[in-house]
Amino acid sequence: MVTPVIELSRIEKEYPGVKPLDRVDFAVRPGEIHALLGENGAGKSTLIRVMGGAIRPNGGSMTYLGKPVSWQSPKQARAAGIHVIHQELALFPELSVAENILVDAQPRNGLGLISGRTRHARAAEILSQLGVKISTHAKIDELPLADQQMVEIAKALVGEVRLLVLDEPTAVISGHEVDLLFDNMRRLKREGVGIVYVSHRLEEIFEIADRVTILKDGQVAGTGPVGDLTRDEMITKMVGRRLEQIYPARRKAPASGPDILKVSNLRAGHRVRDVSIAVKPGEVVGIAGMVGSGRTEVAEVIFGTRDLDGGTIEFEGRRLDRRMPREAIRNGVGFLTENRKDEGLFLGLPISANVMAPDLAGVTRRGLIDRRGEREIALEQIRNFAVAAPSPEVKVGNLSGGNQQKVLFGRWSRIASKLLILDEPTRGVDIGAKVEIYRIVRNLAEQGVGILMISSELPEIIGLSDRIFVMSQGHVAGEIDGASATEEAIMDLAVRSIERRDGKAARLEQVA
Amino acid sequence: MSAVVAEFRRNRLSLSYVIVVALLFLLVVAGGFLSDRFLTWRNFGNLFQQLVVLGMVSLGQTFVVLLGGIDLAVGSLVSASTVFIAHFLEWRPDLLWLALPLALVAATAIGALNGLLTIVLRVHPLIVTLGMSSIIFGGTLMYNKEPGGSVPRGLADFSYAKLWGIPATAIVLVAIFALAGLWLQRSRSGRSIYFVGGDREAARLNGLPVNRIVVMAYALSGLCAGLAAIFLTARTGVGDPRIGAALTLQSITPVVVGGTVLAGGRGGVLGTLLGVLLVTMLNNLLNFLNVSSYYQWVIQGLIIIIAVSIHTTRRRQ
Ligand SMILES: Nc1ncnc2c1ncn2[C@@H]1O[C@H](COP(=O)(O)OP(=O)(O)OP(=O)(O)O)[C@@H](O)[C@H]1O
Ligand SMILES: [Mg+2]
Repeated sequence: MVTPVIELSRIEKEYPGVKPLDRVDFAVRPGEIHALLGENGAGKSTLIRVMGGAIRPNGGSMTYLGKPVSWQSPKQARAAGIHVIHQELALFPELSVAENILVDAQPRNGLGLISGRTRHARAAEILSQLGVKISTHAKIDELPLADQQMVEIAKALVGEVRLLVLDEPTAVISGHEVDLLFDNMRRLKREGVGIVYVSHRLEEIFEIADRVTILKDGQVAGTGPVGDLTRDEMITKMVGRRLEQIYPARRKAPASGPDILKVSNLRAGHRVRDVSIAVKPGEVVGIAGMVGSGRTEVAEVIFGTRDLDGGTIEFEGRRLDRRMPREAIRNGVGFLTENRKDEGLFLGLPISANVMAPDLAGVTRRGLIDRRGEREIALEQIRNFAVAAPSPEVKVGNLSGGNQQKVLFGRWSRIASKLLILDEPTRGVDIGAKVEIYRIVRNLAEQGVGILMISSELPEIIGLSDRIFVMSQGHVAGEIDGASATEEAIMDLAVRSIERRDGKAARLEQVA
Repeated sequence: MSAVVAEFRRNRLSLSYVIVVALLFLLVVAGGFLSDRFLTWRNFGNLFQQLVVLGMVSLGQTFVVLLGGIDLAVGSLVSASTVFIAHFLEWRPDLLWLALPLALVAATAIGALNGLLTIVLRVHPLIVTLGMSSIIFGGTLMYNKEPGGSVPRGLADFSYAKLWGIPATAIVLVAIFALAGLWLQRSRSGRSIYFVGGDREAARLNGLPVNRIVVMAYALSGLCAGLAAIFLTARTGVGDPRIGAALTLQSITPVVVGGTVLAGGRGGVLGTLLGVLLVTMLNNLLNFLNVSSYYQWVIQGLIIIIAVSIHTTRRRQ
């Protein structure tokens, strides 16, 4: 048998109140793509941090290329040929793409100084190898999230790699970019690199992985070749029960009554050119479209975090005069943002404070915050969304990525009594919790809340929406009834209008 | 008091306070051994009197640091306020009831202006308050170069008044700290300081009135400087344009030693109170031991670095 690239045995890790890794065995062979599956909080990222030297395990042993090792730092692991792409991006937002890609391999000139020209040439070379078109001069925080993720992936192609670890790289990319990523993974695999791959999208596992290991509550619940397990078996092992129905029933009759939100001829920046959308109470309205089509920007304008250049927004028939988040929240509007780490969560504060942040008034009795009431609400939301956390006092920064998303959901589902705007609501959320979130979204709608949901996952848009708007290049390209929508119909709309506007059929392949 | 206890419970996990309390304990024991005058009722009375001014200024600094900012104007503001109070009272000793509120309002307004400037100009608070400090200092000197003015008997008496053998000023200080603790932990505006300090953008997205909170924190720092100036003028009996200069940096020490993070969003006033106690007691003991003030500076510097490094390593675990 070949020597594994890395082999972990009986690895343990403990934090106060949680044991994210409990005697875990895990091995990756050269030229193998090994998928790591499990619910939010199962311990996937923790295992990855152990492999990459970011944390030290409390027990167990590790061999790398046949030799026993124990990493003292991420730097040491990196020097030995392990490259980890962590779940939360680790880029320098103020620096250029080139500087980020070559962050630990800055090219020097004859004087020992960093050479800007070589750097850009090298970075451009790596990006073209990856197959993406991003300017090496652009600053990271000017790039859309998907491009930032591609930059993070590009970093992994610098220098020699023997083990590549990808923690949910596809959470923020879709379509064309996923294909590019997979192409590159296959190329590296042919070169004998061992790859660890984490994703909550099971279709991807079947497409790309050779073997799979499933974690459940910090223990290995199963491991073997991908072909040996069916999708349902995987889910059962992960969640611990069978999932019968993913999407709840749609509403029977079309929603009636006056619009709760009416957006007409909206213009904002260069991303939103002409958008008209309406949501009725009790209705789930999906917004589909490609990354960069202006969907997020529309949501931001509605909530008041982005300026509008033209058009009107009516809320329950009234125009909102002071456009700012506070006003929107006061009117019963909630906004679950796409980028949880940068937008909305207080990582240093406990779950309870995070849940209550927009609604301190709701727990204030006679001028003082009612601690017990606050705790109870937080506990309730922890239960509602099955957040894996020992108590409401846990700092949100210590939660796993998917659980952070659930906390955000717990917050906004309380606040939004009229309208809830969701931007990629199930990003990084495990399949069990997804089903739960779909159920809650539908429940809210049944209570009369209007839902506006942006998502790049077409099955989710189709499965949940009553009506779907398809956006393309800042315009609404069309509207489809949710019950009869198909992925083809949506894609067709998302792409056809691009063809019409640009006359470039070549763009077609970008989405297909 | 219950607020202080509540805060203690809330933070028991962080153990930050335990460290400071342990250091304090160590100091008291060591002091008892090293000097027979240290562990006396009389000395502690003096000590509490001494820490009132630093305590007040550090309290104000705590609000601003929790917000993720810093206030380098407090020292000059204290000086200017003492000058104002002493000269006003020399002119009209009978208008005590007017002079003190006026001083507080002015100090609060200058604090609020600091906050407003950081927002409007989008300049780092370090720069804004440094500039403001210089302006206030210069302005005070234009008016008055030497210590001067006087205070009426009543005010001077207050500074030496005792209640059950404890200096009244110290009791007032502890009461103000308790109030501040309650406000920070249990009121909407107080809690909001943690939100804005933790992540300003997130605070905005959560619908919190970010600008208002920023201005409020700096205004409170100004108010605290004004209160400190009242205590100080009452004790010294004069207004001195240079008296507060050292307070600016001194006020930061107890805040960080007490476990409040300079980046904002974490910490509290109980830590600051313990920090003030620690620093003041240390200097007091060193005075008894006839250690020169040069060494006192060095030792204080060491305490800052050691205490803060203990806090950070604890947090990383
Ligand atoms: N520094 C920490 N302190 C305390 N608990 C932690 C810390 N890091 C992780 N945990 C806990 O360990 C558990 C496993 O977290 P981990 O991030 O490995 O989950 P995951 O499988 O990657 O989940 P996800 O799919 O949501 O990313 C979680 O319950 C998490 O709250
Ligand atoms: Mg993870």
